[in-house]
Amino acid sequence: MRILLVEDDPDLSRQLKLALGDAGYAVDHAADGEEAQFLGETEPYDAVILDLGLPKVDGVSVLERWRRGNVATPVLILTARGAWSEKVAGFDAGADDYLTKPFHTEELLARLRALLRRSAGHAAPSLTCGGLRLDPRAARASVNGEPLRLTSLEYRLLHYMMMHQGRVIGRTELVEHLYDQDFDRDSNTIEVFIGRLRKKLGADRIETVRGLGYRLTPLEGETAG
Amino acid sequence: MFLDFRKRSLVRRLVLLAAIWTLVVLLAAGAFLTAQFRDAAIRRFDQSLAVLTDDLYAGSTVEDGVVKAPFLTDIRATRAYSGRYWAIFAQKSGGGLSAIERSRSLFDSDLMLSTAQIDRLTADPGKTLYFDMRGPQDKPLRAAAILTRLPGHPDPVVFIAAEDRSPIDDDADRFGRITAFALLLLGAGLIVAIVFQVRFGLQPIFRLRREIAGVRSGKAERLVGPYPEELEPLAGELNGLLVHNQEVVERQRTHVGNLAHALKTPLSVMLTEASQRPGPLADVVDRQAQTMREQVDHHLRRARAAARSQTSGERTPVEPILDELAVTLERIFQDKAGGRGVEIDWRCPEDLCFQGERQDFLELAGNVMENAGKWAKGKVRAEAKADGEGKMLLTVDDDGPGIPAEQRGQALKRGQRMDEHTPGTGLGLSIVDELARAYGGSVTLDDSPLGGLRVVLRLPRAEG
Repeated sequence: MRILLVEDDPDLSRQLKLALGDAGYAVDHAADGEEAQFLGETEPYDAVILDLGLPKVDGVSVLERWRRGNVATPVLILTARGAWSEKVAGFDAGADDYLTKPFHTEELLARLRALLRRSAGHAAPSLTCGGLRLDPRAARASVNGEPLRLTSLEYRLLHYMMMHQGRVIGRTELVEHLYDQDFDRDSNTIEVFIGRLRKKLGADRIETVRGLGYRLTPLEGETAG
Repeated sequence: MFLDFRKRSLVRRLVLLAAIWTLVVLLAAGAFLTAQFRDAAIRRFDQSLAVLTDDLYAGSTVEDGVVKAPFLTDIRATRAYSGRYWAIFAQKSGGGLSAIERSRSLFDSDLMLSTAQIDRLTADPGKTLYFDMRGPQDKPLRAAAILTRLPGHPDPVVFIAAEDRSPIDDDADRFGRITAFALLLLGAGLIVAIVFQVRFGLQPIFRLRREIAGVRSGKAERLVGPYPEELEPLAGELNGLLVHNQEVVERQRTHVGNLAHALKTPLSVMLTEASQRPGPLADVVDRQAQTMREQVDHHLRRARAAARSQTSGERTPVEPILDELAVTLERIFQDKAGGRGVEIDWRCPEDLCFQGERQDFLELAGNVMENAGKWAKGKVRAEAKADGEGKMLLTVDDDGPGIPAEQRGQALKRGQRMDEHTPGTGLGLSIVDELARAYGGSVTLDDSPLGGLRVVLRLPRAEG
């Protein structure tokens, strides 16, 4: 397993390199944003540990450039700034996990292991519907290559609709597949989630069939998957 | 109402002053006009009476010591009680008068002069004087009289012409009434005009107040104007103050971030170093580094919360934040519950807005929802909704173990960790408590219908 460690503090870099090496990883180190971006784009790493406060180019920008350049390597963000606005910005940029300084080395190693475990076994058949694409293994969806940020309930609803695309699906059926238990089966629930999905996918992909339910269809000009 | 004049509304103050002044001026004008009218009418009346006395005087002759009145053509002097009368008296040596001749209109009564009036005539012989007196049927009369001597008559002779004065009194009264009515109308019109003028004139002040309210509720960032030259400097100063406030907050926040960054990397180094060289010293370093981290977090966040309460409000839409947090937290907790992760179900009206900064709402909702996710067996529910005037509620439920009622008070206190294996749990909620208080809100803990803990945040809401 090959890891890229991006950290500008020499002491912390040395310690982490040591700890990661002890845990059996091969570690490359970058001390600034430019070097990190270059290494991440050219070398096939299994995971990246990325500090956000970096010289030259900051960590969030590096991550955004990777993701724009289709670098899908799982990224664990390391930062001193623990405010939620920064966490959300990090995940928005495409981070897979987040660790706030100061941390225990054990916790970092545990998170890294989980990250690698999740990214393993990727080649599951994905579902498509026009420009809409859903990868059931990674539990990710995208529209025309742009990743969608969905909650698990939204994802579950979309997954079910993609498996039954082109067919009109009734509300009761959708509610039953949305919740495993008997709670919150009021009629508004589905409307709320359909509304949110439409906001994220584009309004025209989900059609309302009056009195019957909803239907997921590719946009005109797109081919059905 | 009149307790404190300084507190009275400007509009009422201006209108009241103008109304009092208008009333005084109009009353004075009315009184003056009525008096002028009455004087002019009486003067004209007196002149016609003077002509009559002159006619009497000029036309009278003395034949054998007896005064003969001229023949007067005025019909009114012949009909009984017609209202126009005349009489000729001779003054006796004692000063009293005795009638010589009188108009037929007097019928059986007489024109009686009082002693004072006779004295005035005696003192000023040959001059026409005017009196008010009572005539037949007790009617008020206006009289002109002259005391003079006629050649061939031993005693001074007094000629009096009198006329019922009630027509002039009636005229003057009518004029007074019409004037009063007209002036009252004018006054009312003026006061209405003043009310409009003041309201219109003070419009910029009302606009300024609305704009300031808009800034406070977060609808606008600064005052736009334009304002009249008297208010422009005030608006400018207010804008300056707003900018200054914002700068102070910004600077504070930057300092806070820098300090956090500066301290936390060394702390990481210490923790890592300690974990790599186990021993009693490492344990102490580990514990102390953790304490330092909590202290730094606590005090920096407090500084931020303090900076917060001074700034003017922004409006932050709640729905997109809950969405972002739900997605982010599901990512963070995706390995929990045996790899099934935590499902975050959230509800929020689209138009709900928090009155305050985005960062702070993220911090409030993020910490509460993260805490719920940490303890949940698999489900977290968050619901935001409006709660009456200017308030909103954020309710976060989890299906974890919950906190027994008697320990809930402790959970909100700083540094109280309910479980050593999930560091900073109590800290998270204590931060939420502090931040919510800085916004004038509150946090309450309760049992959740999902089986775990329910956290209810009460926060200020920005109106539509």
